[in-house]
Amino acid sequence: MEIPIEIENLTKKFGSITAVKNATLKVEPGSIHGFLGPNGAGKSTTIKILLGLLKADEGKAKIFGKNALDGSPEIRQNVGYMPELPKFPKHLTGEELLELYGQMYGVPKDEIKKDIPHLIELVGLSGREQNKIGEYSKGMQQRLGIAQAMINDPELLILDEPSIGLDPVGMVEIRNLLKSIAKEGRTIFLSSHLLNEVQQICTHITIINKGSIQASGSLSDLRNGLSLEPSIILEVLNLNDNIVEAVKTIPNVKDTVVDGQRLRVNLNTREDVRSLVSQKITSMGGVIIEMNQTIETLEDVFLKLVTKPER
Amino acid sequence: MEKKDGFLIRFYAVLKYEVLWHLRKKKVLGIMILAFGLATLSLALPVVLGNMYNRPIEPDPDRITSISMFSGELWYFLLAIILGMNSISGEFESGTIIPLLTKPISRTLVFLSKMASTLLIMIGTYIFLFTYLTLGNILLYGPQNNLHLISLQLIGNILSTLVWVSIVFAIGSVTKSSQMAALGSFGIWLGLNLIVGIYALFTGDTWFLTYFPGGGQTGYLKVEGSPIPTAGPQIKTGTGSIAENLVTLALNPSAIVNFIRFEIGGGEGIKILEVYTETLSYVVSRSFIVAIVYVFLFSFIAWYALKRAQISD
Ligand SMILES: Nc1ncnc2c1ncn2[C@@H]1O[C@H](COP(=O)(O)OP(=O)(O)OP(=O)(O)O)[C@@H](O)[C@H]1O
Ligand SMILES: [Mg+2]
Repeated sequence: MEIPIEIENLTKKFGSITAVKNATLKVEPGSIHGFLGPNGAGKSTTIKILLGLLKADEGKAKIFGKNALDGSPEIRQNVGYMPELPKFPKHLTGEELLELYGQMYGVPKDEIKKDIPHLIELVGLSGREQNKIGEYSKGMQQRLGIAQAMINDPELLILDEPSIGLDPVGMVEIRNLLKSIAKEGRTIFLSSHLLNEVQQICTHITIINKGSIQASGSLSDLRNGLSLEPSIILEVLNLNDNIVEAVKTIPNVKDTVVDGQRLRVNLNTREDVRSLVSQKITSMGGVIIEMNQTIETLEDVFLKLVTKPER
Repeated sequence: MEKKDGFLIRFYAVLKYEVLWHLRKKKVLGIMILAFGLATLSLALPVVLGNMYNRPIEPDPDRITSISMFSGELWYFLLAIILGMNSISGEFESGTIIPLLTKPISRTLVFLSKMASTLLIMIGTYIFLFTYLTLGNILLYGPQNNLHLISLQLIGNILSTLVWVSIVFAIGSVTKSSQMAALGSFGIWLGLNLIVGIYALFTGDTWFLTYFPGGGQTGYLKVEGSPIPTAGPQIKTGTGSIAENLVTLALNPSAIVNFIRFEIGGGEGIKILEVYTETLSYVVSRSFIVAIVYVFLFSFIAWYALKRAQISD
């Protein structure tokens, strides 16, 4: 199968601002790929270039192996796109919008009409499809945005901040919807600044900051490759220097930090060494009342990447 | 779902999208009301005046060909503004251009649909108006001759309006602002009507008016055997006068137009000099070509600006 999205050394400037800087990334077929970055990182700009809304200054971008930078319509035939905070003509009803957009993919009206009730239900707009979009709430417009992105039954879905404006229940619904879409073998590329959201549904993540890609890969790759140092945090009664010195002799212990009764043991390994540490402390007369091995969350990675100085 | 090439389906969809845009925004209703009001006024005014001065209107079988039913630069301009001012820029302003242009349709197709839908609504407006005016005139002035010439008026009015529509489109597409589209076009309209007019008045040079969008230069139909160059009815040469001229030409295919110059002084008061003549068929063809050149030129600018536009929010 062709690679859904392939971007190479993409650069886009707005006057003196470099919105996207030499970005390279690849989206695997069938993955849910999160495009993560803080506000102004360059997510939407990258996506708009892929869809032909903006012109790149340098670099390459391909969708299913075809050049996406010349803005030719065929590129978008197999792509569904939900813009960031989508705006649709207020004078149309939800149903009319889906009908017209569907026909713009060259699909006859009768066929589109058959798909619409199902789509409306999927995104939770049942009963409102005959209402004018001008009467929709923000969240309903967002849901319609997802429905219209799926009207052509696309192999690749590009969603720019799909959960903005949704209530918590809506977020869960959309998350489940996206997971079920991906199960059908489709690829989803979604941008977000909410790490939590991305972590819950994505198989792959690209982190972007100030226009530069900081990391890209599968969730586990990211965890392994970019982890904070693993450590164990303990609370020990009778904590003393002897105990600390003894802990330091355990293989793979890098160093320790003491703060009252709290002991932080920094490790060189990602293996679970809690039993070794607890045995040693107990044998030295310490009483462990709490112990945690910190498994660094992606949040740590994310924060580290987006707060560290520019590369 | 099968993926189809379906160019016609796509074109139909974009066209319907555009037509609904016009219809649902109540613009068309506004235009119809405006047109209906003006048309009613043009029908009622002679009746009212006739009553006031005790001169009831008399049957006139040539009424429809002797008046230009619904023309005038101001009307063309207003209609064009109402139809065109937010067709392109309005989608930029509302943000709806983003989901639209990310469908697998070319920007050229979107542009053509915008033009086509505007043309459709315009033709609809004129057909409504012409029907109303024709029936009204028949009712007031009795059966009419040469009813088939109405189609020539229709063609002329459409072309004259299209000149302004393409100007409004071009400014809207370049500036992406409906206000600029309206104000900019108004500026051009006002400029052409005032500044150029004043310049012409002072220098006596008016030939160039023919080549600007608008009414054009003034001439007079030559009356066979008359020594006075201004004896015949007035003829205007511009893009805004195509409808009347087409009808006049159909009725007098060999008509000649006198162009004159005023000479002041020499103790004899104002002298009217015939400067040169042109055949009416030449005058009409030229204004046709000038109008079409403008339509293509400004449509090209509008298309090119849309084609090249970077769309960010
Ligand atoms: N049309 C524009 N003109 C000038 N600068 C722009 C334009 N669009 C984006 N930028 C700048 O480019 C940078 C990236 O913007 P972009 O919208 O891609 O960020 P983002 O990652 O999508 O952020 P957010 O999470 O807020 O949506 C920002 O610094 C922004 O100010
Ligand atoms: Mg964004």
